[in-house]
Amino acid sequence: MNNEIGERLMEILLVDDNPGDLRLAAEALKEVNVQARLHTAKDGMEAMAFLRRRGKYVNAPRPDLILLDLNMPRMNGRQVLAEIKEDSVLKHIPVVVLTGSRELDDMVKTYDLHANSYVTKPADFEQFIVMLNSITSFWLSVLGYQWRGVN
Amino acid sequence: MAGEIKQSRELFRILFHSSPIGAYIIQNGQFRLVNHQLAHISGYEESELTGKPSLSFVLTEDRDSVRENAIRMLKGECSVGYEFRIVTKRAKIKWVMETVAPVYYRRKRATLGSLIDVTERKQVEERLKQITAEMQRSNTELEQFAYVISHDLQEPLRMVSSYTQLLAKRYRNKLDSDADEFITYAVDGARRMQTLLHDLLDYSRVGTRGKPFSLVNCEHVVQQAVANLKIAIEENTASVSYDVLPTVMGDEGQLVQLFQNLVGNALKFRREEPPSVHISAQRRNNVVTFSVKDNGIGIDPRQSQSIFEIFRRLHTREEYPGTGMGLAICKKIVERHGGNISVQSRPGEGSTFHFSVDMGGGEAE
Repeated sequence: MNNEIGERLMEILLVDDNPGDLRLAAEALKEVNVQARLHTAKDGMEAMAFLRRRGKYVNAPRPDLILLDLNMPRMNGRQVLAEIKEDSVLKHIPVVVLTGSRELDDMVKTYDLHANSYVTKPADFEQFIVMLNSITSFWLSVLGYQWRGVN
Repeated sequence: MAGEIKQSRELFRILFHSSPIGAYIIQNGQFRLVNHQLAHISGYEESELTGKPSLSFVLTEDRDSVRENAIRMLKGECSVGYEFRIVTKRAKIKWVMETVAPVYYRRKRATLGSLIDVTERKQVEERLKQITAEMQRSNTELEQFAYVISHDLQEPLRMVSSYTQLLAKRYRNKLDSDADEFITYAVDGARRMQTLLHDLLDYSRVGTRGKPFSLVNCEHVVQQAVANLKIAIEENTASVSYDVLPTVMGDEGQLVQLFQNLVGNALKFRREEPPSVHISAQRRNNVVTFSVKDNGIGIDPRQSQSIFEIFRRLHTREEYPGTGMGLAICKKIVERHGGNISVQSRPGEGSTFHFSVDMGGGEAE
């Protein structure tokens, strides 16, 4: 299977307020099969600026996949999700809620807000790699299909 | 005849005045006759009471209900005494219980009343209510505390365990052998803490995240528990059997967890021979007692209480893995269902766990 979307890398936006999580995802992404470029935002405000290409993000690419934490200061993941899914341009971007919470309520609420999937951050680093690999491979196959459809 | 009337009047007078119950006759809303005991309870002299409106020493807020209750009792609509508060001469508030009856006094309609001081009982009741409420509050707080602790500690712990694992992955065999050993212990410690927190969270969830009770078919519950343990049952070539089981009021998810923990333990603490588990139930009045009998290694009877405590383990981690939370969770689930759990066992001869479920639905809801 081709591990790139057409000629380019898969663009991933990871939104998380914990620098440890951002770095961990960057490290884990080095180990997955999909060739991806990771962009990070440390809260919802930054994520929306990135997606709407405001300020320093004027040249930001449109992400192929958004990994979204729920609990963040200023603007939390639920607010980001709601805003993305109400935006006719952004709503097609798959959003995977990636969170430390194992609460059923949180899961139900994010699906109500049209999250594309909900994943609990594994405590085990190897499992984290496995998880990221499955997420990126799955969405690559979906996006790759769409890509061919467009061309 | 006249002598007899005189005698009976005398008898009434003695009884009335020596009674340990406050007694009085009311006419037109006023005390016509009061006894020593009423004077004692109210703190007024008998002479101070006579001629006064009988409601005047009832606490203002309680006057309407006293009036209503007295009318109902005089009409014969109720026969149980009613309670209200009075204000004594020294402005102290006392709780009393009163009964009234319609009588004739000096040829006119009157009310014969009697009352006793129930202040002490009321105070005890009130204190008991307070203590119960306080205990419930502190219990809920404790559960909430355990929940928040175990939930919020997971985030930072995930950092510790992920990064120690990343260290191990990148640097094992690249530093010296001491470093490798240190990393191994750090990784193992973080992983164990993770499991502990996870189990503590499960434990606190029994109280904080339980579902409302509904009718639950226990055969379905056992089938579900067995299905969840399918792999372990196959790996141990175990057999699980059960009698006809009743339907009870309960939280289905928690009952599945309960049976699953007990059957799971029977598989885990097995002897050489293949594990065999049998589940039965006995109904007595409103209480169903379930028994889960196994042929495992058994439990020292001296430990039959402590095994239900949180994080209680009877073996080393090398012998049997686990955090020692399973039976504590069982106990908490059973208690939420208004029952008790206990074990009968002899080492080497298997164990039988008994737990009861109150059919009336244990939890006050």
